[in-house]
Amino acid sequence: MAERPEDLNLPNAIIARIVKESLPDGVAVSKDAKLAISKAASVFVLYATSCANNYAMKAKRKTLNAQDVISAMDDMEFSRLIQPMEECLQAYRKEQKGKKEAAESRKKAREAEGGEDNDDGEDEKEEEVNGEEDTANKDGSGD
Amino acid sequence: MAEQKSEKHNCLLPLSRIKTIMKSSPDVTHVAQESLFVITKATELFVQDLAKTIHKKSGSGKSVSYKDLSTLVDEEENMQFLQDIIPKKILAKDYLDKQNNTESDDDIVMLD
Repeated sequence: MAERPEDLNLPNAIIARIVKESLPDGVAVSKDAKLAISKAASVFVLYATSCANNYAMKAKRKTLNAQDVISAMDDMEFSRLIQPMEECLQAYRKEQKGKKEAAESRKKAREAEGGEDNDDGEDEKEEEVNGEEDTANKDGSGD
Repeated sequence: MAEQKSEKHNCLLPLSRIKTIMKSSPDVTHVAQESLFVITKATELFVQDLAKTIHKKSGSGKSVSYKDLSTLVDEEENMQFLQDIIPKKILAKDYLDKQNNTESDDDIVMLD
């Protein structure tokens, strides 16, 4: 998947924006500091993935789920990130649920119409995403 | 303010790129959509947290330099994983001196 080493870098512009937004106005961040933060973020992703994967492997699951990631934060001594993460996850779940319901009601409406629509591609994609999530939830029934 | 609310669960960083990084780990087989989202969010929070912490510690208030960052990485326990990629910058002269010193130290050890 990652063919070139650059594929493992995160976009510097976005990292720079996150940094800028979290600091008060007028604070200058040097170029090499920004680059180092960007690299740090990449390594953070790998480190978190690896810690989370340990939890999945311990539970003999093949799919990494959200709870694994949250548990990993404790190991990494980043417990202070857990609360905002959980809040985001709740919002995300709500949003996904809303999307699923909207897709279903669209589907029903289309069936009632007689189903002549070219919009199928998008719907299939959405179902696939939800399917993946369902298996993840089954896997992680212990949490 | 409504925009800020939606930003809370919309990711700034590209999910596809994060997934590529996650999958580059050989042990990882499947990644649930939710865990991808949580890791992405965690990374954003980590960057915010890192920026704020360096700024607080740097003391100068108006600027953040590489040195502030490498000092933080060196001091904080939970930043240890970054030590290889954010090392302290040292002058080539100091490095060579250090190497010479350790070499002579080795000699002493060998003599003992």
